[in-house]
Amino acid sequence: MNLIESTKMAVKTLTANKLRSTLTMLGIIIGNASVITMVGVGQGAQRYASGQFESLGPNVLFIIPGSEEARDRSFQIPRTLTLEDAEAISSQVSTVSAVAPQLQSQQPLSFGNRQTTSLVMGTTPDFLPVRDFDVEQGRFFTETDVQRNTQVVVLGSDIARKFFDDKDPVGQQIRIKNIGFQVIGIMESKGAFLGNNQDDAVYIPITTMSNRITGDTSPYGTEVTFISVNARDEASVSAAEFQLRNLLRLRHKITNEDDFTVRTQKDALEIVGNVTGALTLMLAAIAAISLFVGGIGIMNIMLVSVRERTQEIGLRKAIGASRQDILVQFMIEAIILSALGGILGTAIGVGGVTLVSATTPLKAGVSTPAILVAVGVSGGIGLFFGVFPARQAAKLDPIVALRSA
Amino acid sequence: MQPVIRLEHIDKIYGTGDTEVRALSDVNLVVNTGEYCAIMGPSGSGKSTAMNVIGCLDRPTSGSYYLDGVDVARLSDDELAHVRNRKLGFVFQQFHLLPQLSALENVMLPMVYAGVAASERRERAAEALTRVGLANRLHNRPNQLSGGQQQRVAIARAIVNRPVMLLADEPTGALDSQTTQEVLNIFSELNASGITVVMVTHEPEVARQTHRVVWFRDGMVQNDNMLPTQLAQMSLVS
Repeated sequence: MNLIESTKMAVKTLTANKLRSTLTMLGIIIGNASVITMVGVGQGAQRYASGQFESLGPNVLFIIPGSEEARDRSFQIPRTLTLEDAEAISSQVSTVSAVAPQLQSQQPLSFGNRQTTSLVMGTTPDFLPVRDFDVEQGRFFTETDVQRNTQVVVLGSDIARKFFDDKDPVGQQIRIKNIGFQVIGIMESKGAFLGNNQDDAVYIPITTMSNRITGDTSPYGTEVTFISVNARDEASVSAAEFQLRNLLRLRHKITNEDDFTVRTQKDALEIVGNVTGALTLMLAAIAAISLFVGGIGIMNIMLVSVRERTQEIGLRKAIGASRQDILVQFMIEAIILSALGGILGTAIGVGGVTLVSATTPLKAGVSTPAILVAVGVSGGIGLFFGVFPARQAAKLDPIVALRSA
Repeated sequence: MQPVIRLEHIDKIYGTGDTEVRALSDVNLVVNTGEYCAIMGPSGSGKSTAMNVIGCLDRPTSGSYYLDGVDVARLSDDELAHVRNRKLGFVFQQFHLLPQLSALENVMLPMVYAGVAASERRERAAEALTRVGLANRLHNRPNQLSGGQQQRVAIARAIVNRPVMLLADEPTGALDSQTTQEVLNIFSELNASGITVVMVTHEPEVARQTHRVVWFRDGMVQNDNMLPTQLAQMSLVS
C-alpha cells in the first residue's frame, strides 16, 4: 500500500471521529498558537522598549543616582544628584549641548472641583531639546522662570483635557499640592515613555518643584531624580560620558565607588535587549511546554484509539495489511493531527499577534523562525509521540485482535 | 489436481514445560479445489487453531502446510499477510466491517493492500457486491445494513481479490435462521462457481449443507470425510 492510500485512509478515520480529532489537535493548536504569540509579544516588547530609547536619539545620556552595585543592594535610591551637578555639567563639559535635570513625584492636582493625582515633573527648558518634546499651545517656562521660582505650569495633553475639556486653559490657575500655579502652555501629545504616560503629567520649573512641592533637598544641594544630557553629536557621546563622569567624581569627592551611574542610549538598549530577550525566552519556554503537553495528548489519544480499534487492526491484518501498513497508517494519523494542529495553531498565533499589535502599543511581529520552529516541532511531536502507539498497533496479533469483542 | 490445502503432521503447541498445551497433534488434512467443507468439533477440539493455521493467521509448531502448492508453514508475518491478501478470503462471525466506510469501500479494502488501481478497485468491488445481491446498497454504511446484508458485504470483501479459498469462521453464528439460509445460499452459489469453501461451524444444520465435514477432537482429526448426513449421529457421540 502506498503513502497516498495510507493518507486517504487516515483522513477517513480522522474525519469519521471529528470531535475526538479536534480535541486531540487542541493541545497542539494551543501549544503552537502560544509559541507564536508569546515569541511575537516578546519581540514586540523588545522592539517597543528599544524604540523608546531610539526615539531619544543616539546622543542622549542619563545620569542616575547611586552606583549599579548600590542599586543592587537596596531599593532605597540614594539622593546624590543635585541641580548644582547639572549646572556644573552644563557650564563645564564642552561636549554637552543640553542638560535637563529632572525632579519628579506624584502629586495631587486640582482645578475647581476636579481633582486627580499625576506625575509632576520639575525640569529646565533644556528638557525640550533633550527629549525632543515641544509645546502645542502657549509656551514652555524659561530660564528666567527657573531662576525666579515662578509658579507656572505646562500641562500634558491628557491633563489639559481632563481639567478644561475643550476650553483654553492658558492663563487659568490650577493647584498642585494645594499651591496655585498659572497655566502657561500645553505640551504636544507624546504617549508613554517606558510605561509613564507623558501626556498625563504636568511640567513646572525645577526650582519651584524643589522649593514648593517636594521641599526636601539632598545633603549635597538641590536633589534631582535624574539628569538627561544631550551630547553635541553622536561622535562625542563617549567623550561626554568620560568628562561628566570625571566632573561628578570631582564634585562628589569620590575616591572609590561612584555614587551615580551614567547610561548612554547604547547601554540602555543593551539592558532593554537583555531583559526583553530573557522575557521572550521565558515566554517561549512556557509555550514550548504546552506544545510538549499537546504531544503527550496526541500519544494518549492514539493509544486509546489503538485499543479501541483492535478489531479494525485485526481485520486489516487478516485481509492482508502488513505490519508496516498498520504502522504507517497510525503514524500518518498522528502526523496529520499534529501538522494540522500546527497549522491551525500558527494561524491563531498569527491572529493573536495581529490582535496584540492592533490593541496595544507593542508592535508584535510574526516571527518566521518561530513559525517554522513551531510547525516543525509539532510535526516532529506527531512523529515522536505517534511512533509508540503505532508500534503497539502494528504488533497486534490478528487472531487476538479479531477475537477481542 | 493440486489440493488447495495439504496439512502434513501439523503440531501446534502453546506455552512451554509444565504449562504446555498441545492444541493440534499430528493433523493431516487435504482439501481439494472446489470442495465445500465444514470443520466441526466440540470446543477445545482444536478446530479454531486449525482454522488459524489454515488461514495463515498462525504458524504451526511443526509440520508442513502447502497452501495452493506453496509451503507457508515457515513464512514471516509479512509474507503471511501477503498470502492472506492474495490467496484467502475471510468471513467472520462478527462481520468485522469498518464502520466509517461504505459497503463499496469495505469491499475495496483488500485490493488497497494488494495495490490494485483505484478505478479497478471500484469496478471489481461493485461487481462483487452485485454478486452477493447488494447492487443497490453500495454506498450504505454498515450501520445502515441488516446483519444478513453486512455478512454479504463481508463475503463480497472475501471474494473480491479472487482467492483460491474462502474461509468462514462461524459465518452464521450472529444471524437468524432466515438470513443464515440466505448466506448459506451465497456460499453454495460461490462454491458452484468453483470457489473452494472451508467453514468452521458448530451448527449441524449449517454443516449439513456442505459436502464434507471434518471432525476434530482433542487436537486431532477424528473423521476427515464424514458425510453431512451422518452428522446427527456424530453429534450424539460427541
